[in-house]
Amino acid sequence: MHLHKFEKIWLIFGIGSLLVFLTVLGVSAFYLGNQPPSCLATIDPEKVDTQAPFNEPGLKKVEGKEWEYELVFVASAFNYTPGEVQIPKGAKVKVIATTKDVIHGFEVAGTNVNMMLEPGYISELVYTFNKTGEFLVLCNEYCGVGHHMMTSKIEVVE
Amino acid sequence: MAKTELNRNTETETEIEVEDSSSLKGTLASVFLLGFILIVTWVSVYSLFLDRS
Repeated sequence: MHLHKFEKIWLIFGIGSLLVFLTVLGVSAFYLGNQPPSCLATIDPEKVDTQAPFNEPGLKKVEGKEWEYELVFVASAFNYTPGEVQIPKGAKVKVIATTKDVIHGFEVAGTNVNMMLEPGYISELVYTFNKTGEFLVLCNEYCGVGHHMMTSKIEVVE
Repeated sequence: MAKTELNRNTETETEIEVEDSSSLKGTLASVFLLGFILIVTWVSVYSLFLDRS
């Protein structure tokens, strides 16, 4: 098969950059351990309110784990519980969230905390809040007529 | 057999430098332009992600 010299150049360039991208993603997933936020943990969506940890939404200090706090959020049409929460600056927090009804989103604007909440699944993400200030929590999945009103607030304090 | 030379034009006989129609220079340039746009956007989004984590 005859290939033009230029064709060889851009094939090598294209395949090379694909390999670089995939290597970066592979290292991130298998070496750094980055997973999708919802990873195999399930829950009965009708019993969310009675099951731990979702029977007590909010921030809780935990001992002997990789993270110092657990922040439990329950989403339902069209609000989050808790509606406002305070976190000390620099705290390593595991956000644990689920939904009671339809698919909701959970984004802490301006941070990497951005996940989908699916009924029946628990979404988790560990994040260190290093900047003080107020952070808006909002829903990124269209969930119904009140979607645009669905917010919460995280306040990172000294 | 003799060939007719009706189309013969002495002016065009002088060789004008015309680029080979199978030249891939333009294609090469556009492929690399697209490639660099993809790389720049990918790297900037990934560095934004790293900066925020």
